[in-house]
Amino acid sequence: MPELAICTRGLRKTYRTRRGRRIVAVQGLDLDVPVGGVHGFLGPNGSGKTTSIRMLLGLVRADAGSMTVFGRPVPVRLPEVVGRIGAIVESPKFFPAFSGRKNLELLAEAIGAPRSRVGEVLEQTSLGDRGRDRFRTYSLGMKQRLAIAATLLKEPDLLIFDEPTNGLDPAGIREIRETMRGLGDQGRTVLVSSHILAEVEQVADTVSIIGHGRLLASGSVAEVIGGGTAATVKVAVDNHEAAARILTAAGMTVRPDGRYLLVDGAEHPADVTRRLAHQELYVSELIPVRAGLESVFLELTAEEGL
Amino acid sequence: MLRLTGVELRRLAARRLTVVGVLGVLVITALLLVVVWNDARPLSAEEQRSAQLQYEAAHAYWVENGEEDRRRCEADWDKQPDPKPAKEELCNFREPTVDDFGKPRVVFAETTPDRLLGASYLLVFAAFLIGASFVGAEFSTGAIGNWLTFEPRRLRVYGSKLLAAALGFVPVAGVVLSILLLGTYLIIGRLGDTSGTTAEVWGDLTAIGGRAVLLVAIGAALGGVVGLLLRHTAAAIGVAMGYLVLIEGVFAGFLNSAQPWLVKLNFDAFVRHDTTYYVNECGGGDGGNYVCNSIEKTLSFEHGAWYLGIVAVVLVLLGGAVFHRRDVNS
Ligand SMILES: Nc1ncnc2c1ncn2[C@@H]1O[C@H](COP(=O)(O)OP(=O)(O)OP(=O)(O)O)[C@@H](O)[C@H]1O
Ligand SMILES: [Mg+2]
Repeated sequence: MPELAICTRGLRKTYRTRRGRRIVAVQGLDLDVPVGGVHGFLGPNGSGKTTSIRMLLGLVRADAGSMTVFGRPVPVRLPEVVGRIGAIVESPKFFPAFSGRKNLELLAEAIGAPRSRVGEVLEQTSLGDRGRDRFRTYSLGMKQRLAIAATLLKEPDLLIFDEPTNGLDPAGIREIRETMRGLGDQGRTVLVSSHILAEVEQVADTVSIIGHGRLLASGSVAEVIGGGTAATVKVAVDNHEAAARILTAAGMTVRPDGRYLLVDGAEHPADVTRRLAHQELYVSELIPVRAGLESVFLELTAEEGL
Repeated sequence: MLRLTGVELRRLAARRLTVVGVLGVLVITALLLVVVWNDARPLSAEEQRSAQLQYEAAHAYWVENGEEDRRRCEADWDKQPDPKPAKEELCNFREPTVDDFGKPRVVFAETTPDRLLGASYLLVFAAFLIGASFVGAEFSTGAIGNWLTFEPRRLRVYGSKLLAAALGFVPVAGVVLSILLLGTYLIIGRLGDTSGTTAEVWGDLTAIGGRAVLLVAIGAALGGVVGLLLRHTAAAIGVAMGYLVLIEGVFAGFLNSAQPWLVKLNFDAFVRHDTTYYVNECGGGDGGNYVCNSIEKTLSFEHGAWYLGIVAVVLVLLGGAVFHRRDVNS
C-alpha cells in the first residue's frame, strides 16, 4: 500500500443546531489521500467537505472514527505534524486591523520561522507592495493570496485548500490552479475541496467524491471518469424513430437532442454505427460525448438519492 | 508557551484598543492629580474672606444662644425614645473655631490609600475591557481558526493569551499607580501635610499599589476568559456592565448583607487590607417598635484574597475547559 498523506476511517460528525435539531454532516467517511500530487475532494454543497477538513485540523471534534496525517493519529498527535500542514479553511480569516505583513509576522514568530521568511512569501504571492496595508482593505483575491502566503511560511508537505477559488475572477482562479499544480509537481500533497468539477478535473491527479458525508468514489481522475459510465455519443441520422427503436432494442437509452440523438449505454461508439448500418440506416455524424466528472458526479449523487 | 506568550504580547501591544485604552487611562490619571491639587490647594482670598464671615456669624450666634440651646436640649433629653443617645454627645454645642470654616489640611498618609483604590477600579475596568477585546475579537473575526492551524495545542494557546493579557498590564498598572502616588506626594507636599509619612506609611502604600497591580493583571486575564466564553467584545463588556449595575449595584443595595459575597467589597478588602461596610439590622426595639440600625462591619483581607482567588481560578478553569472542547467553526 502506498504511503498516505491523509487517511480517515468511519469519520462521523453530528452538529446540533440551536433548536436542538441534529445535522449529520459527516457519516462514516473513509478518505485516502496518497502522498504527492493534487487530490480533489469533491462534493455538492453541504456534503461535509469543510467539516471533514476541520476535523483533520483539530478545529472540530469528531464524534467517531479515526484519522491519520502522515501516519500519525490526529488530533492526538497533530502537534507533531502540524508544522508540515498548511491549510486554508473556507474564507481566509486574519486580524482585520493588522496589515498582511503584521499578520504573517505574528504567525511566523509563533512557529519560530525566521522573520525574513515573511518577505519571501509575500513576494512569492505577489503581495509585496500591499503587505503594509490593513488586511481589512484587501480584495478577496488578495486575502486568498495572503492565506496561501501564510501556509507557505511553514514550507508544508501537505496543503489543504477548502474551495480556494470561491469568488475569484478567471485570472485569479487560474493563478490558484497553477499554484496548486506547481506545489503538486514539487512532490507536495495538495488536498483541494470543491464543488466545481471542471476546476478539480483540470488540476487533480486523484479525486474523492463525497455526498451526504460519505465516500462515493475515489481513484485517479481517469479511473473515476472511465469506470463510472459507458460512452455517450451524439448521432446524426435521417430516421430518428427507426434509429431509436433499433438502439433501444439493443439496450441503449436514446433521447432526442435537436437534430441529433443522444445515445447512452453503448459499449463502444462503433456499436452504434454497426447496429444502425445493419438495418440500413446510415450515420452522417457521430460525436463521442466525453464523460466528464460532471456526469459521473451527477450519476453518483443521483444513485445516492441526493 | 514562552514564545507564544511573547507573540501574544506583541499582538496586544499592536492593537489599537490597547493603545487608545492606555492613553485614556493616562489622561484620567492626570485628571485625578488635578483633583488632588484641588483638594489640597489653599482657599483663595475671596473664599477665605467668606469663610471668615461665616465663622464670625456662627461665633456670634454661639455667644448669644449657645448656653440656652444646651439647656433646652438637656431638658428635652428625657423625652427622647429609647435607646437614648448619650446626653453629652447630643447636647454638645461647643464653641466654633476658625478651622471649622476654613479648609482642613489634606494629610497625605490619610487620603492616599483611597485614591489608590479609586485608581485601581479604573485600571481593572480598562484591563478587563482590553482583555475581553483581545481574545473576543479573535473569535468574532474567525482569526482563531487560522491561529490554531499553526498551534493546535489549545491549552497552550489559551494560557499564552491570558498570560500575555495579565503580563501586559503589570507595567501599565505599575506606571499609572506610581505616577499617581508620586504626583500626589509632590502636590500634597507643597500644599498640604506630608509630615507623617513614615517608612511604614510608604510600606503600606506600596503594598496597596502592589495588590492593585496584581488585581489589574487578574482583571485583564479574566477579561480574556469572558471574551473567549462569549466570543464577542461587545457581549463581554455588556455582561460585565450588566453584572456591575444589577448585582453589585441594585442587588447589593437591596440586600446589603450580601456584600461580603460580591466582588466589590472583596476587592476593597484585598486592596485596602481589611475594609468596613454597613449592614442594616432591623428588629423590634425595647418599646416593641420596629427599628433599623446601620451597623459597621469589617471584611478581612484574607476573606477578600480567598474570594478573589477562587473566583479567578474557577473562571480560568471554566474558560480552559470550554475552549478545549469547543468546535471552531467560524
Ligand atoms: N456549525 C455548524 N452547526 C450546525 N450545522 C453545521 C455547522 N457547520 C456545518 N453544518 C452542517 O453540516 C453539513 C455539512 O457542512 P459542510 O460545511 O461541511 O459542507 P461543505 O461540503 O463544506 O459544503 P460547501 O460546499 O457548501 O462548502 C451541512 O448540512 C451544514 O449545514
Ligand atoms: Mg465548505
